[in-house]
Amino acid sequence: MSAAEEKRAVLELRGLSKSFGPVHAVKSVSLGIYPGEVIGLVGDNGAGKSTLTRMMAGTIRPDSGEILVDGEPQEFGSAQDARRAGVETVFQTLALVPGLDIVENIFLGRELLKPGLGNATRTMDVATMRRRVQEGYERFGLGLPDIRTKVGGLSGGQRQVVAIARAVLWGSRIVVLDEPTAALGVKQTELVLSFIEQLRSHNVAVVFISHNMQHVMRVADRVCVLRLGRKVFDGEMSSLTGTDLVALMTGAATSFSPARATG
Amino acid sequence: MTRQQILCWTQRDGLLFALVLLVAIFTFARSRFLTVPNITVILLQNAVIGLIVVPGAMLILCGLVDLSVGSVAVLAAVVFGQAMESGLGLPVSVLLGLGVGMAWGAFNGYLIAILGFSPIIITLGGLAGARGLAEFVTQGYTTYGYGPEFALLGNGKLLGVPVPIVLFVIVLLVGLHLWYRSPLGRHMIAIGGAKDTAAELGIPVKLVPFWLYVASGLASALGGLIVASQLDGAAVTIGTGMELEVLTAILLGGVSFTGGRGSLFGVFFGLLFVGVLSNGLIQINVSPYVEQVAIGAALCGAAALDMLYQRLERLQVPVETEPAEPVAQGAGEAR
Repeated sequence: MSAAEEKRAVLELRGLSKSFGPVHAVKSVSLGIYPGEVIGLVGDNGAGKSTLTRMMAGTIRPDSGEILVDGEPQEFGSAQDARRAGVETVFQTLALVPGLDIVENIFLGRELLKPGLGNATRTMDVATMRRRVQEGYERFGLGLPDIRTKVGGLSGGQRQVVAIARAVLWGSRIVVLDEPTAALGVKQTELVLSFIEQLRSHNVAVVFISHNMQHVMRVADRVCVLRLGRKVFDGEMSSLTGTDLVALMTGAATSFSPARATG
Repeated sequence: MTRQQILCWTQRDGLLFALVLLVAIFTFARSRFLTVPNITVILLQNAVIGLIVVPGAMLILCGLVDLSVGSVAVLAAVVFGQAMESGLGLPVSVLLGLGVGMAWGAFNGYLIAILGFSPIIITLGGLAGARGLAEFVTQGYTTYGYGPEFALLGNGKLLGVPVPIVLFVIVLLVGLHLWYRSPLGRHMIAIGGAKDTAAELGIPVKLVPFWLYVASGLASALGGLIVASQLDGAAVTIGTGMELEVLTAILLGGVSFTGGRGSLFGVFFGLLFVGVLSNGLIQINVSPYVEQVAIGAALCGAAALDMLYQRLERLQVPVETEPAEPVAQGAGEAR
């Protein structure tokens, strides 16, 4: 963890705030996310998790505050802007097309073309696309069926892995996962969590948003607790017990002393 | 696994198998069935429908439909005929006819793809409206006699192959390129199967269907002109029932009417299946009334089979994923 702190944050949020009319959804939240780190973002319903997630994804503009990627301030006007800056958000909808296979989904909308005259006559470079996905399978040890399997035939966990793999194979070093284990069975959850652990060892920064304490405690190195739009805790996972986490989320405990958080 | 492979095979190539079987039966019954002249006749009879089927199948893959094809065909033919009557000359008249088709397609595309009107209602309106307009323009009179040059479009031959077949093959090849080798095919499946996702990934979910409607209008107009050339007259009866023939070939070819699933090869086989069935039944002296019944039965049969495949596909999902998981975890632990 100390090594991670010495590195520069790949994604830094500085004093982000967002109000919807009279409701202050997020109040001046700052957060640094480091490479090779899984940060759990937790909070009760209405704590501001979704709003913060959407600001990172570029679908909501913050009222005030800054988002920095690799130390550079970024303006996210749209989801495409965020993606271009290297921040990929995987929402629960997953954005997969059931009628297409895994390779087709991973390259959907960004198909590789062979060199040729004009875009209309250029053909897709199917071989390279398949090879790239196959390499990704080997690099991350993806527990997925054959790359030509239709996504419609995959289980929920496998679909989640495909959606995350798409983000990583496109070179994103910051992946924001919105409730990736919601509505998954035990085995399926294991598939997703072990993939997230793989990502950490490949130096990808992961923001893991979840309701599920067990899952957060299993994969997160650091945890950020939101409550009523404010950040109430940001520190190492190992310093907390599940009870502490619940206390923070529900407001039973307002903060932990630095001594306890580091000890 | 073998059951699954059989399932895959019948789903993908079942129609081809049925087509081969049909050809075999007719060849057995009539030795002249499988000869070059008869095959040419079958292709020629279906070339015009085939032209329109290619963009039509793409529209259905996107989850849309164009019912106005036959009426746009007659409107294009009639506008061409009127232009010839008023002495505008052949090239201008042909361009006017094709232009009317594209304009109608653009109108359909604007309302449906851009503004989000119901495709069935708008093109059903076009089905009535365009034919009505054609009748209004001509007041029911048929213009005729466009000269030998225009006759080449319907009756001419290029290297021994009738021109309509050549045009159909060109359109089919362009369609196959777009469907299988360019990203458009995947994009159309995405638009038809999961439109919101497609939009999220930056696929032009409005422009693709818009241009497909324009292409459908253009193909219909070309079809109308070919028929006008074959008849040497722009009769107001051109294109009657054409939308049903186009839809039959597409749906028989296994394109899902709700979009997101289908193959252009399948559609081509569907087109040939209908062509072979009607030609063969006439050859074995079956009443032409029965022919329509047979095509209807084939379509219903295809729909029933499609339903069965979808059921079986859904059933096989848990069977397929169960064994995949321990393997996946084992691979993870081994590392």
